[in-house]
Amino acid sequence: MNENLHERAHQLLAKSLVEGLGPVDETWLREHLAACSGCAQDAAAMQNVLRALRAVPVSIPRDLAARTQLRVRLRTQQSSPAAAGSFWLWAVTAASWLLGVSSAPLVWRGFAWLGANFGVPKLALEFGFVLWWTVPPLLAAAIILHQKALTAEWSNKN
Amino acid sequence: MSTPAFTLTAAPQPLLFAGFMTDDTQALATGLRQRDPDLLDRLIEQYQQRLYRYLLFLTGNPPLAEDLFQETWIRVLERGSQYNGKSKFESWLFAIARNLVIDASRRKKISSLEDLGDQESNTPYDPPDERAASVLQMLVSRENEQSVQLSLLKIPAYYREVLLLRFSEELGLEEIAGVMATPVSTVKSRLYRGLAALKTAMTEGAA
Repeated sequence: MNENLHERAHQLLAKSLVEGLGPVDETWLREHLAACSGCAQDAAAMQNVLRALRAVPVSIPRDLAARTQLRVRLRTQQSSPAAAGSFWLWAVTAASWLLGVSSAPLVWRGFAWLGANFGVPKLALEFGFVLWWTVPPLLAAAIILHQKALTAEWSNKN
Repeated sequence: MSTPAFTLTAAPQPLLFAGFMTDDTQALATGLRQRDPDLLDRLIEQYQQRLYRYLLFLTGNPPLAEDLFQETWIRVLERGSQYNGKSKFESWLFAIARNLVIDASRRKKISSLEDLGDQESNTPYDPPDERAASVLQMLVSRENEQSVQLSLLKIPAYYREVLLLRFSEELGLEEIAGVMATPVSTVKSRLYRGLAALKTAMTEGAA
């Protein structure tokens, strides 16, 4: 039999495994395998190899799934309250910032009234106005840092 | 003339992987987004065999495969919102696991799975540690499987991976391309070369 035919059979054999064959090629290959014992043996051998590949047993380490489930649950518990806490912290910070912006003219007028009626120096008024703006974000930052420290401590313990 | 044991069938189509298809994948995506611990428990139970085997095939190192197995599920928890339910869960899972293997390999100065074997010279895959060979040898028990296992040891990791995903996990070409983040043409090319390499290794082993 022509060497090229065997070569073609091997190529189609591989293609049948990787991509699948069209009807014409499939018929040709089937007929070739029926007539050529060498190629038929190669085909059978490859099928055996793939069958063995599918059947490769793996022994999973004992309790791996249980240990993983525990670890995942711990991580869930660890991150959920923090995530929920962060959401509310950011929400409150955003609300505080919006309130600060909208109330800034009133606050400035309030400080000006204090200065006019009680003789508070202008520098003290300006300092008070700056504090009005900076205390909320500083507090939020402190809470976030404290929360992170607690989370890190919890992780180290577990 | 012997009757051919080979039966002409189309290339393996992706099998139904124990339950999760379209509607279910959407439910799965919702559960992952909500970080549902019960769902994760079930997934870990369901995919433990396949994920561990995939990791063991890639790394050849049981302790490392075990670490990466746990790390994969932590990533699934943390990045669950990225799974959109449009693809199979196992494809997404294997892609996460594969990236972790590559990260672990980088720590050993290996930039990708391709570097685990020399593509040009087709140098056999060198297991990451001396225990790997014996461990992989333990994978197979029957005589025929032993010869396959020995042959698998001789072919590069990137061929071993693609053969496993196609013929053991029975993923489709597009799904494998998704896992490996490579074009389908590359997947096909690796499958053809992997089959040839496996066949050559089997022939040499038999000689």
